[in-house]
Amino acid sequence: MTDTEPLLQVRNLETQFHTDEGIVRAVDGVSFDVYPGETVCIVGESGSGKTVTIESITRILQMPPGEIVGGEVIFDGIDLTTASEKEIRRIRGDRISHVFQNPQGSLNPVYTVGAQIREAIQANRDVGKKAAREQAIELLDEVGIPEAGARIDDYPHEFSGGMRQRVVIAIALAGEPDLLLADEPTTALDVTIEAQIIDLLLRLQEERDMAIVFVTHDLGVVAEIADRVVVMYASKVMEQGHVHEIFDRPAHPYTRALLDCLPGPDGVTPIEGTLPNPLDHPDGCRFAARCEYAIEPCFVGEHPSLLPADGDEDHLVSCLLYRDGHDESVIDREPRRADPFAVGDDT
Amino acid sequence: MNMKWYISRRVLWAVFATFIILTFTFGLLLISPNPEASAAAFSAATEGGDPEEARERVAEIRGEDRPWHEQYVDFMVSMFTLDWGNSFTYHEPVVDTILRAYPYSVALVVPPTIAAIIAGFAIGVYSSTHQYSLGDFLGTSFAFFGLSLPNFWFAIMLMMVFSVYLGWLPVRYDTSVEFWSLEHIRYLILPWFVIWTGAIASEMRYARAETLEYVNAAWTKTARAKGLDETTLTYRHIFRPALIPLITIVIGDLVGIIFATALVVEVIFTVPGLGLISYQALVRQDTPLVLVTIMIPVFIAIIGNLLQDVAYTMLDPRISYEERDA
Repeated sequence: MTDTEPLLQVRNLETQFHTDEGIVRAVDGVSFDVYPGETVCIVGESGSGKTVTIESITRILQMPPGEIVGGEVIFDGIDLTTASEKEIRRIRGDRISHVFQNPQGSLNPVYTVGAQIREAIQANRDVGKKAAREQAIELLDEVGIPEAGARIDDYPHEFSGGMRQRVVIAIALAGEPDLLLADEPTTALDVTIEAQIIDLLLRLQEERDMAIVFVTHDLGVVAEIADRVVVMYASKVMEQGHVHEIFDRPAHPYTRALLDCLPGPDGVTPIEGTLPNPLDHPDGCRFAARCEYAIEPCFVGEHPSLLPADGDEDHLVSCLLYRDGHDESVIDREPRRADPFAVGDDT
Repeated sequence: MNMKWYISRRVLWAVFATFIILTFTFGLLLISPNPEASAAAFSAATEGGDPEEARERVAEIRGEDRPWHEQYVDFMVSMFTLDWGNSFTYHEPVVDTILRAYPYSVALVVPPTIAAIIAGFAIGVYSSTHQYSLGDFLGTSFAFFGLSLPNFWFAIMLMMVFSVYLGWLPVRYDTSVEFWSLEHIRYLILPWFVIWTGAIASEMRYARAETLEYVNAAWTKTARAKGLDETTLTYRHIFRPALIPLITIVIGDLVGIIFATALVVEVIFTVPGLGLISYQALVRQDTPLVLVTIMIPVFIAIIGNLLQDVAYTMLDPRISYEERDA
């Protein structure tokens, strides 16, 4: 995988919000790569900056109050953070698409689903209304909506939540994107529908050979779909690596703690405390206050930078204990839970 | 079929509402003083006659000595046959007086109101999509300025500056001016401006408030992610959904513009429209005329509501035409 060029490179991305209380550093120096055709999962608690990271990539974030203040997002040789409105508009929907969390609100209630899919087709391709309509029916059919030809003239309120999310996915596919950014696309759905939507995304990924960045706080989903995982906490990347590394030998105490939140033979072990205030991040490691392994140096200076864990260039961790002079062996890295997720070699 | 059925139901309802309002008006008329009888009593008294007798005689002539339910049937029949009585001051059927006055009101109110809706919506949508920018600040300031300015004062000020000091425009309205002429515009431009500034502010504020809700809507994000340009996006996904509540507000607002702002403006600029007529009718206690000038806004409100219900069904697919009850 490292042999090919990355499709997307996020480098030291910094996104802030200007609020009445002060500046919120929602994304604070985040870096990761996405290779063609792979699935990268961004995991973390609510408020850790996952969504803002995703929405900074195509700059669909509301700006102002949001602002990208630093870093680069390289896609196809273009830095999207500095690209012109026109350039980025050409990429949106055509090369990079989004699927959002809330299928309830993602569709405009006053237009038929057909009109909204057609709009996505015609925004990127110079096709007539009729051809676009044909294409929209094909897309609806592809995302598994029965009797697509009849349903195309229905309004969003005539669809269930799961069906609406399928429509949103159809919209995202309209431009035949290379990269799909899915922001908790199944969080608002019930479990059976969630499984269907995930299956659909995986099937589409295979058929269309597109990369997916999947934002979630559900580690079960991560185990099922991810090739690689980026763990975020308090606007920073804590750890990233191959899904097997993350699940079987988590390096960062935060990742370890997250995995312990999953139900296991000893029940669940919640992480005590809450996320630090994003208006005023503490000195040192962002997780130190909640970390069971924290030592004095963890509370001073900057948040530790990402460095290889176990000397593996593909498995990065931002924890002082992995630096020279410290003993990372104090961290218990063996999985405690009986693995309820088949993280097989071929998922 | 559903749409037709729905509309006919709304029309029936409008008729029923009219019926109730007329009944209520009848009750009010029954207990209100009668200036004609008072005048007769007054002249009888000055001529040495019996004022009470004169009063009763007038009541007899007008049929007011009959039981109230007979009077009620009479009243309803005459209302529905558009026989609304004669004006005391104009000595002609009030319907004629109204028909003579309304073109002036229409000429006065319609152009600035349409201009205010268009400009107000445009500025309002700009403000909401550019929230907290300089343009938003200027637009909002302008809205508050227009809203805070008392119409009567602003009208008098404009008249003083442009008609009295500068002498560019006529001071008093002149009914002998050709209705469809450029000259007429010289008479109308100041009143238009007053109505426009009064109305644009509220239209702008409503448009800003309503569209602001959709600037951050999830579907706006979906639309942006499709690669739509901002103009299309603003029109289709921010303005269009906001049009539904805006229509309600605007129709309610129009009644206010016509019968509050326009009344004041007509009185000040002496435009002989409905406003001036109803104002004079009130001052002169011309009861039949007052009645009509009160009934007209009521009918407009009923018709307005009807149009609004119909517009809703066309704009919002979620509203069904089907039976809501039973």
